[in-house]
Amino acid sequence: MNALDISSITFNYDGMSVYALQNFSLSVEDGRMQALLGPNGAGKSTLMRIITGQLRGYAGEVLVYGGKMPDRKALLSIGYAPQPISLYTTLSALENLRFFGAMAGLPDEQIVSRSEVVLEQTGLMAQAKEPVMSFSGGMQRRLNLAVALLHSPKLLLLDEPTVGVDPQSRNHIYETLTELNAAGMTILLSTHIMDEAQRLCSSVTLADKGAVIFSGSMSEIDNLEKFFLEKTGRGLRDA
Amino acid sequence: MIFRQLKELIRKELLILLRDRQTILLLFLMPVALIFFMSLALEGVWMDKLTERKMQMVVANESHSPKANLLEEKIKFHKLIAYVGRPRGMDSNQIIADGKAQAVVTIPKGFEEGNKPVEIYFDPQMDAGYRIAARSLITSITAEVVMGIDNLETVVAGLVVEKTKRNKELPSPLQQTVPAYAIFAMFFIAIPMSIGFLREKKDGTLQRLFTYPVNTNLVTLGKIIPYYLINISQFTLMMLVGVYVISHFISLSFHVGEHPWHMLPVTIVVAAAATGFGVLVAVLGRTPEQSSTMAATGAILMGVLGGIMVPHAVMPPLMKKLAMISPMYWGHQAYLDIVLRDASFGAILPKLIVMTLFAGICFCVAGRKVQWI
Repeated sequence: MNALDISSITFNYDGMSVYALQNFSLSVEDGRMQALLGPNGAGKSTLMRIITGQLRGYAGEVLVYGGKMPDRKALLSIGYAPQPISLYTTLSALENLRFFGAMAGLPDEQIVSRSEVVLEQTGLMAQAKEPVMSFSGGMQRRLNLAVALLHSPKLLLLDEPTVGVDPQSRNHIYETLTELNAAGMTILLSTHIMDEAQRLCSSVTLADKGAVIFSGSMSEIDNLEKFFLEKTGRGLRDA
Repeated sequence: MIFRQLKELIRKELLILLRDRQTILLLFLMPVALIFFMSLALEGVWMDKLTERKMQMVVANESHSPKANLLEEKIKFHKLIAYVGRPRGMDSNQIIADGKAQAVVTIPKGFEEGNKPVEIYFDPQMDAGYRIAARSLITSITAEVVMGIDNLETVVAGLVVEKTKRNKELPSPLQQTVPAYAIFAMFFIAIPMSIGFLREKKDGTLQRLFTYPVNTNLVTLGKIIPYYLINISQFTLMMLVGVYVISHFISLSFHVGEHPWHMLPVTIVVAAAATGFGVLVAVLGRTPEQSSTMAATGAILMGVLGGIMVPHAVMPPLMKKLAMISPMYWGHQAYLDIVLRDASFGAILPKLIVMTLFAGICFCVAGRKVQWI
């Protein structure tokens, strides 16, 4: 069974004449780490928001482990780390984890034990009780990931998880993702960093202007950046 | 699961709110300071004119006739007047302009013959009520002198007696300011409420929340309940400050009336109106800056109109009518019914209905306009 099946999704935002996604289809095999690449305005973040139930009113179908979205149960099999660092900055790391854990319906004891695990995984155990506003950009990114991992999702959606972080934090995130994938977690990674995608992912989907323009194995591609520019063009994308 | 989610939504909101020092200052310390200073400023509004405060008065005796001298003596030694010796070389205008006295009484030449009346020149800034009381006093003393009666004041005082309830002789300014600024502060909840909502939309935490199986109604309740609880705490604190704290610093007392338990339904409804206003501002604002300006301007306008800053009792007739468009007016009048008039619940009920309607309209409009993501 595929972890994620997206069939012919078409969507446009209110008042916009251009489709954000048009007849967009994508599959992610269970246990795989797949890259979702595309220039600005390709529809990557919109797709993530549709998968996670934030956007409604689209045509087409999204299945998560066979469950048609939006579905409360299927939502819990997804862990989502959005591109903006979406954390309560006046709360501590532990308080953020407690809050999002409760939203995921985890019992108190499980929140405590899982918080220890994800803080350890993201290297934030020592700062667990400190307010997030005192964290560096890299630490906040790692906590953003920790929140997504808290409820032990089977499918992890990452929207540019290493934007604005130092090489050490980036490397830590790469190692964590590799370990999680090795342990069986399916990961869909949206990124602009070609090295990141090539280093971590075994398959790739390339999107542009709301449509899929390539989907295949990473091993088929020798130089991802060159391939990306050949497929999407060299013109600036300021959308 | 739903109750646990709600509990955590409320807990999160309260933690964020209570860790914001500026918000705490705005919601709790600002109204205490306003009650303190506005009570002092409004002391004269309900004061028994003259008996509570002696009027500084200069007597310019230009007649020096026996009756004029007697009048000057009576004014000089009257218990309600602080006699000020006439400064040399200064006319009435200068005396008032220099702040030497609040009034100048001139006994003109020809007074004895009844050709010229006694003139009183008041400081133009003087409160009208205070001026009327002083004029009556001088009239009474002058009548005694002219008519040759010695105890006119005593005779007149016996003819009409003011009857009041015990402890209700005159309302203290605290009776006005404590409920007034409690309501005012409650409506200021709209600032942190709207800023918090818009900040969560901007930083993506609200969107992230909806990636979990959370109902939007639950999120709405999780936003409203904490601010409602803060509203109730604000009112309770203001009452405690009014009864136990401020009266120790300024010699004014605050009485909660004969039916203090009526405050419970009034506070429940006022808090609903205030949170309704907050929700509406949060939904209508596009940026935190825009919503905080909207909330502050709205609250101040409602306060000015509703008799919070300027007591409704001293407003001119047009303003008294205009006041009714402010929800704060209805809330304040309901509290004044309790602390001043000892009114029955039936008398308070229409005000509660108006406030409930206001709250209902705010919530309905907000519900139709809200964009969570």
